[in-house]
Amino acid sequence: MAQLTCNGKTTREINREIRAFVAAGESRVRVLDPCARHNLGVALLDPVHLTLEGSVGYYCGGMIDGATVEVKGSAGWGLAESMMSGKVIVHGNAGNGSAASIRGGTVVVRGHASARLGVAMKGGLIVVGGDCGYMAGFMGQRGRIIVCGDTGDAFADSMYETECFVGGEIAELGNDAVVETPGEADLAFLSASVQEHLDRRLDVTSFKKVVAGRKLWNFDKDERAVWREAL
Amino acid sequence: MCGIVGFWNRQEDARGLGQTVLKMLNALDCRGPDSAGVALYGEGRDGRLVLRVSLGEDADYEATARRVVSRAEAFGVVSEHARTAEYLRLALVYGGEARRLEQAIEAAGDGVEVVSMGRRLEIVKQVGSPRNLDETYGISGFEGTHGIGHTRLSTESRIDLSHSQPFWAHGHPDLAVVHNGHITNYHKLRRIYEQDGARFYTENDSEIIGMYLHRKLADGKDLEAAMAASLVELDGSFSYLVATPDAVGFVRDPYAFKPLLFAETADFAAVATEEIAFRSALDGAYDVVEARAKDMRLWHN
Repeated sequence: MAQLTCNGKTTREINREIRAFVAAGESRVRVLDPCARHNLGVALLDPVHLTLEGSVGYYCGGMIDGATVEVKGSAGWGLAESMMSGKVIVHGNAGNGSAASIRGGTVVVRGHASARLGVAMKGGLIVVGGDCGYMAGFMGQRGRIIVCGDTGDAFADSMYETECFVGGEIAELGNDAVVETPGEADLAFLSASVQEHLDRRLDVTSFKKVVAGRKLWNFDKDERAVWREAL
Repeated sequence: MCGIVGFWNRQEDARGLGQTVLKMLNALDCRGPDSAGVALYGEGRDGRLVLRVSLGEDADYEATARRVVSRAEAFGVVSEHARTAEYLRLALVYGGEARRLEQAIEAAGDGVEVVSMGRRLEIVKQVGSPRNLDETYGISGFEGTHGIGHTRLSTESRIDLSHSQPFWAHGHPDLAVVHNGHITNYHKLRRIYEQDGARFYTENDSEIIGMYLHRKLADGKDLEAAMAASLVELDGSFSYLVATPDAVGFVRDPYAFKPLLFAETADFAAVATEEIAFRSALDGAYDVVEARAKDMRLWHN
């Protein structure tokens, strides 16, 4: 396996080295001593498996398309932002705005995720082993979010077609968010996802499903009160 | 931006406080190139009051320093005094009202300011990077129990020593604050405080946090209750740290606008704007957790 260390290098040098390994056909690349630095492993467009041996800073794995980025620690703000496809796995916790605007792929946070998880996502899957902060799923257009623990306030606010699943308590529902009971297909998907991505066997029958009530999709003057509340 | 750090030592007779805080601060240098500062808590064994006085910007430092010392001597025995650049550090035996001593010293010259006063607290700050701060004042050799630090990216008030952080809460010995964010009801609170006779030293909104906590403590609230009240009564974005001789705490605003993470082990508790500050300064295996919106925590004896 190819490997490199971050010590004494600029971020640009590290990312160039990673890219050079990928261009040379390496399928697995290990990055030592990431020391919570920002912008590591961004915009990887090939199916390489990048392992960062420690915590990373902001925007790790951003804009990737097809790569797998594994963080053996925690991640800062903007994890996997705008990724197209591929997989980002964080063994620890993830900061604010994780998986914001993703269009596809899978983001796994084994620990807790902070505020604004998966806002404006347009596809893909987010799996969180622990809790998430406030406003997760805000304005989500497609894709799915699974939170095994508790959520923060304003959960699933003003969504389009993103579907959310919560194992713990929802601190507060966002505007137009509606709780449903998961169907058979949902439960099968939940079990399989939790098993595959978190390596856990969970009883998912108590999970709640949260979707948009669709009241904010089109303006209706008879529902002015809903809009006043939302805006 | 701005970067803030805090370190609370849990080990008996641990060494290297200045070094640790400096390393954490250096890691956040790029978040705040304008100024750097630390508030460190030494052992303070003999109970003397230690003052750090900024001697004004264009003054004859030696002459001003002599005037400051002679004014301090009217209040108590000055057991030591030493000047480094624009800073005068002096220690004296005094148990009276902090405000009176401060006013007398600040009347010694234009721009003279008591930057910190306390039996344990010492604040050193200046324009420039944390490295420059260490080169000038040798803070890496400072020994003590805990401390907080700040690197500043100025967004709305001037860049000079006085506007730099940490801020000592004037009039309240040993209380210091660092802040990342904007207090948006600053002008409103400032008007109220000024009507009560408070003196503001800067145009920096961060200055008001220490004054706010000082007023709550003076009203009989304990520090934890004062911090909890600030979550309701301060508006805007704020991750701030507060330190006293026996505590370090943090508060994060209701929207978690400004980053803040913390880590706790049997040996230490630490808090900082980015994880890189922990990983650059503190060895070993430990988790770093992002504080939630509205989180507050106080580590104390």
